[in-house]
Amino acid sequence: MKRYSQKIKLGFIFVASMFLLNSCADEYLDNSKIYAIDTESFFNSETDYYNALVAAYDPLQSTFINVLLGEIASNNTLCGGESATDVPGYQQVDDMTHSPVNSQLQNLWSWMFGGVNRAAYIIEFQDKTDFVGKEVIIAEARFLRAYYNFELVKWFGDIPIKPEGRFVFGDEKSIPRSPKAEVYALIEEDLKYAVANLTYVAPQVGRATKGSAEALLGKVYLFQNKFQEASTVLKNVIDFGPYDLVTDYNSIFEDAGENGVESVFEVQYTDIQGAGFGCLQCSEGNVAVGFQGVRGYDGDLFTSGFSFNVPTQEVVDEFEAGDNRKDVAILDIDAWSASTGASFTTGYEHTGFFNRKYIPRKRSTEAAGDLNLTNPNNYRAIRFADVLLMAAEAFNRRSNPDDGLAKVYLNRVRARAFGVANDVTSSGSNLTSAIYHERRVELVGEGHQFFDLVRTDRGAQITGFTSGKNEVFPVPLEEIQFSQGNWSQNSNY
Amino acid sequence: MRKKITLLLFMFISFCLTAQTLNVKGVVKDATTGDTLPGVSVVIKGTTIGSETDFDGVYNLSNVKKGSVLVFNYLGMNPKEVVVNSAEINVSLEESAESLDEIVVVGYGKQKRKDVTGSVSLVGEKTLEALKPIDATTALQGTTSGVAVNLSSGAPGAKANILIRGVSSNTNNQPLTIVDGYEGDLNSINPNDIESITVLKDAQAAIYGIKGANGVVLVTTKIGKKNKAPTVKYDTYAAIQQTTRKLDYLNATEYALVLNEAYSASGQSLPFTNVNSLGRGTDWQDELFNDAFLINHNISLSGGGENVRYFISASRTEQDGIIAKEKSNFIRNNIKMNLGVDISDKLNFSVIANYYTSASQSFTGSLLFNGLNYAPTFGVDEEDATNFLGIEVVNPLSLLKNTFGENNGNGLEGNFKLSYKPIDGLTVTSRLGYKIYNEKQRSFTPIQSYGNSKVYNQTQSSVYQFKATSTRVNWETFATYEKTFGEDHNTAFTLGTSVQNDLFDGIYTTGFDVPNNSYEFADISLTNSQSLQRSLNTGNGDVRLTSYFGRAQYDYKGKYLFSGLLRRDGASVFAADQRIDNFWSVTTGWKASEEDFLKDNETISFLKLRASYGTLGNLVGDNLYRSLLNGEAEYVFDGALVSGEAQGRLSNAIATWETAEKLDIGLDINFLDDKITVVADYFEETRKDLLIQDFPVSGLLGIASPGSSSPTVNAGTSKNTGAELAIGYTAYESDNASLNLSYNVTYVKNNVTEVLDDAIVRGGGFAIGNLPPSRMEVGQPIGYFYGLQTDGIFQTQAEVDAHPSQTGLGASTSPGDIRYKDVNGDGVVDFDDRTNIGKPQADFYMGFNISAKYKNWDFSTYLYSELGKEIVRNYERFLPNVNKPAYYLDRWTGAGTSNSVPRLTNDATNNKLFSDFFVEDGSFLRMQNVQVGYNFSSDVLEKVGLSKLRLYTTVNNVFTLTEYSGYDPTINGGAIGAGIDSGNYPSARQFILGLNVEF
Repeated sequence: MKRYSQKIKLGFIFVASMFLLNSCADEYLDNSKIYAIDTESFFNSETDYYNALVAAYDPLQSTFINVLLGEIASNNTLCGGESATDVPGYQQVDDMTHSPVNSQLQNLWSWMFGGVNRAAYIIEFQDKTDFVGKEVIIAEARFLRAYYNFELVKWFGDIPIKPEGRFVFGDEKSIPRSPKAEVYALIEEDLKYAVANLTYVAPQVGRATKGSAEALLGKVYLFQNKFQEASTVLKNVIDFGPYDLVTDYNSIFEDAGENGVESVFEVQYTDIQGAGFGCLQCSEGNVAVGFQGVRGYDGDLFTSGFSFNVPTQEVVDEFEAGDNRKDVAILDIDAWSASTGASFTTGYEHTGFFNRKYIPRKRSTEAAGDLNLTNPNNYRAIRFADVLLMAAEAFNRRSNPDDGLAKVYLNRVRARAFGVANDVTSSGSNLTSAIYHERRVELVGEGHQFFDLVRTDRGAQITGFTSGKNEVFPVPLEEIQFSQGNWSQNSNY
Repeated sequence: MRKKITLLLFMFISFCLTAQTLNVKGVVKDATTGDTLPGVSVVIKGTTIGSETDFDGVYNLSNVKKGSVLVFNYLGMNPKEVVVNSAEINVSLEESAESLDEIVVVGYGKQKRKDVTGSVSLVGEKTLEALKPIDATTALQGTTSGVAVNLSSGAPGAKANILIRGVSSNTNNQPLTIVDGYEGDLNSINPNDIESITVLKDAQAAIYGIKGANGVVLVTTKIGKKNKAPTVKYDTYAAIQQTTRKLDYLNATEYALVLNEAYSASGQSLPFTNVNSLGRGTDWQDELFNDAFLINHNISLSGGGENVRYFISASRTEQDGIIAKEKSNFIRNNIKMNLGVDISDKLNFSVIANYYTSASQSFTGSLLFNGLNYAPTFGVDEEDATNFLGIEVVNPLSLLKNTFGENNGNGLEGNFKLSYKPIDGLTVTSRLGYKIYNEKQRSFTPIQSYGNSKVYNQTQSSVYQFKATSTRVNWETFATYEKTFGEDHNTAFTLGTSVQNDLFDGIYTTGFDVPNNSYEFADISLTNSQSLQRSLNTGNGDVRLTSYFGRAQYDYKGKYLFSGLLRRDGASVFAADQRIDNFWSVTTGWKASEEDFLKDNETISFLKLRASYGTLGNLVGDNLYRSLLNGEAEYVFDGALVSGEAQGRLSNAIATWETAEKLDIGLDINFLDDKITVVADYFEETRKDLLIQDFPVSGLLGIASPGSSSPTVNAGTSKNTGAELAIGYTAYESDNASLNLSYNVTYVKNNVTEVLDDAIVRGGGFAIGNLPPSRMEVGQPIGYFYGLQTDGIFQTQAEVDAHPSQTGLGASTSPGDIRYKDVNGDGVVDFDDRTNIGKPQADFYMGFNISAKYKNWDFSTYLYSELGKEIVRNYERFLPNVNKPAYYLDRWTGAGTSNSVPRLTNDATNNKLFSDFFVEDGSFLRMQNVQVGYNFSSDVLEKVGLSKLRLYTTVNNVFTLTEYSGYDPTINGGAIGAGIDSGNYPSARQFILGLNVEF
């Protein structure tokens, strides 16, 4: 019997020791650090910060939809395309019949918040690792967050914000849509930090500069009718920034004119990488350009596209006689075809005009397909001409106007446009109107007109525009549903 | 002689002394093999007096009353009773296929079949021998109730998927496979090495906890018997394979006429002006399919001494594909060793090792697709240089010429096991399982051109190479204690622990500009080292599991059976606060046939009722709680593309495994001395926390950024309800003839009962530009087909005008177009009228087997059937000029001509939208196998020193009865996106000639 009990004991010890060996089991399960860097274990070196910054710039390329759809929304163009049902989301915005169910607005919402989150990711981890020059990266991240948030507030009005970092799952149910004023306050704060920590010359072409941040801040002030602040910061760009107007307006929009002296901030595109319709926001090219191209085009200089965003006769007529910008901004396809023998087909709402600044040029042999989606044309987001006109407006409209300086800035733009001095001499509200006119023709096809109209209470100029409703776009229905009652829809949608 | 006299004398004396008793002795042998059987129990009926045979199968019993009955019992054999009327009684025991005493492995233990309280299916050596599977998985098809096997493709070396009691998960439905205690795979084992496959289908598998929800397949491989002379077996077979089907497509003349009609309908000029000269043209299917060879060799040596048992085998299988055999083939070699050593009475050590290599060549799935769509008017070497067929269809033979891909692997798997029996009833086992698999792939894409801007064109050559090692180590220790209290209370306890680690380490590279554009030079080292596109990547995995488990079993007099089990699992792939859970189950059984009222019933020889309930897990959802930096971060600085790092898929901190709740109520009933066996089960499974990929979440979270995506969320519940029935019938059995029949049927109904926020999960693909055809939605089976319902063809314009407008579908409607039903009754036909038009999983799975023996001849056949499933025909490319299926010959050409096939036109129509026009009944009955064998008589064989010689011939895939018009209705029936046939590689028909030798 003793032998047995000994053996039982032995067996027991054996089994028990197995369990003891396993007692550290729960720690054994912690292997999460092996070989994989996840989002929470990142930011361990300068390179990590830089790589995250590249990621934050990337969604700028998806702002093609803001430019394209913004222009379509305005009174400058018609939607076009192949037929009345070609991209219904665009067609509805053109007709001001858009509703909360609109996949293009859903894209815009998601893509811009994607940008916000990528920039906020850096901001969230800004204190993790120190290195010389970190403030430049943080400043650029804050500039980018401001850029994306500004787009969102322009399009949707009140939006949820989270100053400390990224949105996480559940925030859509708890973080409210902040009033526009609070959103603008965050944007201003971000931009002021960027202004303070950036220089006028970027470490690499394509990155934001002090001038980019100042110009955007000026624009943000202008959108809030803070003309005093706007005039100060914009004058600063004009006086101290390294910018000037390019003599030849046409050269700005060609490949050689990219990142020129007039470029205050420019969204960078390239065509060396392919793209597909499955992920338009993944394209390294400017998708809007292919969409705006002449349908079935075969001829000199240009290549074909999908004939969206076609300028109306009205905007063509807005140009004064002798304005050299007209033939740069507007392609009269019939005249062009007659003179060069180019052939083309007509799409929906064919007006005979195309947005010549941003239609596809002939491509290099290395260009990767789908060629319609990979056009390399950079988007000149903030041009110095825009800065001059914004400054003119700010000085003209501020409570203590300086119309003299406003006219200096305005006429600088006009002189370039006409090749000779063609000065506006009026002042007061006549000068304001002249500035509005100048903005429209100078910046036609660049996606600004709709928002200029709305911020100056001139939205009614757009066919189908309902005041008190169409100043902002509806929050996508899915988003309202995800928020489970946290967010309410914009008025009258 | 003197001995015999002495014996006689002794017997005589004994007889004189006791008058009615005998000293009985004899030898017990296996009736089939003629081997002596050690350890057979010999008991005088009605007493506890008895003995056991020794190593030579010899037993001795003294003082046996003449006229009493001896009962011979041996596991796996039919018991035999013999009346004592002589002093020497030699007995041969018959092996029994469905013996109640058959030992069944049930996970960390074994049970007699009659004591099993869970739902278990068993496939034995005989079935495997008859079916000659290359992948043993396929031997489960139709041979076991509750189990369905789907082939992903008929290509050599393609993996087969097992589904136990239907599809429950939309992520992974593969059961856990345990080979001799280590976690393995069926397709790495030589089927000849397998002794039996046990399938655990219900909550009894909860002992496997987090890995048990999809069922458990337990494989037992062969090992020699103790005290048995070495036996050598050599099996070989060779086969010719051919396709089971070619699709009926238009020949050149028919094709040209059909195209001309479509062009003229659209007012376009005719593409073929001289149709008469075209003849039949090229039959691209004939060009692609070929007869192919299959050969298999297998040799094994087994036996045992007093303390040792061994089994060693080697095998080689070579299979060519029935399509493009020079680019589609498979070779597998196996070397297997099982060794068991009794170190002492109490200590046993065993080693199992299986080494295998595999090599395969394969091509992309688009080959058959191109073969079907490429026009028959083109010559064999002719390219569609003018893009007549569009940019996506090219000459399949040219495509094949430019296809180069090979996959090589080798692996070693097995375990070391030590068992210790310190006291009677207690066994402590510790085993270390391992599996190491090395894999390498190489594929070469040469510069190729099929005509202007074809999508298959390549202007730059590239080579992709991949190497990886997967390693699995599993250490398990468990103790089992069996004790009977009193006479009637039998108990058994199991307590154990397990640690497992799965590692993966892979490296992936792509290089460009392969020298000479040739496969011979397709190696990264030779590619352009300056190429910016050249890529190098690695992949790593480290999955850890720690577990504790316990089981208690109790029965009263073997009549009332109970067991309860519990397992605690921790898995490293989940967040720290989410990674541990407990799984449990209870089972119970009642052997009614042991009760007095049935004990001597002549009709019912066995009756058991059983039930089980419990929870099990499905280990899916690796690292979902973490978000990796594998998104796309690319932008242009200084005019050049720069890359950064961005978040990929969003994390879900509370992601967890799927959990199943399983209920099974079963009945085992045997009639007429077990001649008829019936196993019936009703089951229910609720699978909770189904992981849904890309679960829709707010855009606020950054899911739409390049390379990012929605998190995977535990957001669904599905329920499977069903029943299964297996009947076996021994119609006749004698020494030189037998006839056995078996039939099984399984019914499964799947229903999604819950999706978070009532979301609809979409998947699958149909043609180009169609909405996703497959869905997961509450109230419907997983992956059901969602499309338009047809209602014949419009015969006249008046019919078109009378019907709700179909313009909402995108194109105008004319006579000859498909009429769609206005399902929601809103007066227009649009995409809101889509509805359930089928499902990929069958309602019924059935198997039927006949095996017969007459003297030296044996015969067997296996049939398999699936009923009540649909398949989407998705191998037609809807372009005006591609070739078309022959059903277009019956198209609508005017009022009254056809009410099923729409008109031909090049105008835009709604006829190519996803509708039930493209969904076919996929039900089928297939004769999987028929085999005839001849065994040479032992007297003939003894002269040449053989103990067995059998010649046989087999046909696999004899015929398939189905209305499905595609290649193979056995196509994969998984979850969302399953059942869509884009021109799948059909399974081959095989004509086999084989030989078994044993000595």
